[in-house]
Amino acid sequence: MQRVFTLTGYFVKSLFWSLAGLIYLILALVYWNLFFTPGQGTPDIENYILIIGAFGAAVSFLVTLSITARANQAVYFPVVARLPSRVEYLTAVLLSSIIAATLLQLVVAVLALYRGPGLVLGRFLEIPPLWIAMNVLTAVLAMHVSDFVTSGWSRVYLFGALGILLLGQSANGPISDWVVERLGRLSVTINQLGWTAVGRWATRAAGWIDGRETGILHQIFTWLIWPFTAISDAVINGFFSAAQALAPAVILLYATVLFLLAADLFAGKDLEFIE
Amino acid sequence: MIEINNLTKRYYSLTALNRVSLTIPQGEVLGLLGPNGAGKTTLLKLIAGLIYQDDGRIHPTTGKWPLIGFKPERLLFPNHLSVRQYLALIAGISDIGKAETERIVTDSLAQVGLLDAADKRISACSKGMRQRLGLAQVLIGNPPLLLLDEPSNGLDPEGQQEIHQVVKRLHAAGKTIVMSSHHLQEVTEVCTRIVVLNRGQIHYENSMTEALAVQANTRIRADRPLSAMQAQLQALHPEIEIDGSIVVLRNEAMRLRRQVMTMLLYANYDILEVRQARATLAEIYAEAVN
Repeated sequence: MQRVFTLTGYFVKSLFWSLAGLIYLILALVYWNLFFTPGQGTPDIENYILIIGAFGAAVSFLVTLSITARANQAVYFPVVARLPSRVEYLTAVLLSSIIAATLLQLVVAVLALYRGPGLVLGRFLEIPPLWIAMNVLTAVLAMHVSDFVTSGWSRVYLFGALGILLLGQSANGPISDWVVERLGRLSVTINQLGWTAVGRWATRAAGWIDGRETGILHQIFTWLIWPFTAISDAVINGFFSAAQALAPAVILLYATVLFLLAADLFAGKDLEFIE
Repeated sequence: MIEINNLTKRYYSLTALNRVSLTIPQGEVLGLLGPNGAGKTTLLKLIAGLIYQDDGRIHPTTGKWPLIGFKPERLLFPNHLSVRQYLALIAGISDIGKAETERIVTDSLAQVGLLDAADKRISACSKGMRQRLGLAQVLIGNPPLLLLDEPSNGLDPEGQQEIHQVVKRLHAAGKTIVMSSHHLQEVTEVCTRIVVLNRGQIHYENSMTEALAVQANTRIRADRPLSAMQAQLQALHPEIEIDGSIVVLRNEAMRLRRQVMTMLLYANYDILEVRQARATLAEIYAEAVN
């Protein structure tokens, strides 16, 4: 653990003592000023939780990109060579990203308390699991975006899958109707362009999907997205049902799965750190 | 300490290492020689676990990977840190407690002659200082296996000599060292074993003592061509060669020099020169690479 903590402390410190760190700090202040200007009156507690939560998630993504870019430098070859496992290095990068992002989020959170909402204990206790779960998830997602973790086409596969998931979930009603409609439109456009062979393929694909029961896919997509909708619903309603209270844990579960995938990719690839 | 079997590494269509097999015994200083692109750095990175082989196996003979001190060829460091801070970071990831860190950092700085620059920012360090810092970080935590990629590259002769002294001290302390170098003199001075790589393959491997001894020879120069005596001389030993007016005795045949000279004198040849030569590493290298 000492190795991980040493590296974590190092990455956090080197980020905040760099120009990037200063920019992030300014970004936090600008964000606070935009959304929580002292003159604009007391924000709702729901807004406080959601808006700062969104900031944390976004800054966690960006900070992780910054730290992975640093960690991906040839400067650290001697460091990695000393570690018994590369995953220790990856863990340190993730921890430092989460810590740095959470610190920036706390800056906004503390400043927003000035003439902000009065936090009762119950609502205050809601905050850490929500914010931390989202910060961890976005940090892990950012890792998969970075050259540091990505191996071959891994990020294309992962974000392609996520894209399909979001696309599928965004369809109203059974997904098949939605896909059929779009494929139909696509075939018309393609035919107009003169690519009739491709247009026929799109029409046939639409007909094939139309003949099948694919509502189950929509249900799966909706279930996978559920933790996020559950959290926003619960925050807006002002209370968490027993099921909704599990949502942050499910998000952490997603993050864990994605981190294990990142660890597998990072541990198995040739390190081509930037010189 | 490390066993390498049929190691192959490809970068797309380029085969950087091709079925390389090698044993790195405990306590040896193994010198990797070879032209640029021969596969020296690739081999060091494979041993350090920074890249993976496409085929073959690389494993420690003890079953457990030792702590590895790795000095890359390029002198890259986190420039925003001071020399001492950087070494403290390396100490931190080498399981050295805070109480001991200061002493160990100071000790490693002293070993490479960098104590005066301890609080200097790395960005302000000269190339020579960076080279020493690269070596100082390798010493932290007392790793039993050291991988040094061109350890004295860019140093002045005095600096090179200091690095050689450090490597010799480490060897005396029982460390296993694998170092790549383009300085043949350096390899001759500090290595106990040499491997010459070329186009990803081992072209020569031997202990330094044997390498130099095997290539030793005695040259006897007569006053005129020795073609008339060629058969007679070569009948004495298969490692006797005739090159115009010179008799070359290699290895075991060197013991016959007195006999050869007597034969020449009896045949009315005058002996103009007798030269005892040890081959240089440059000759071994040239023969292996070409």
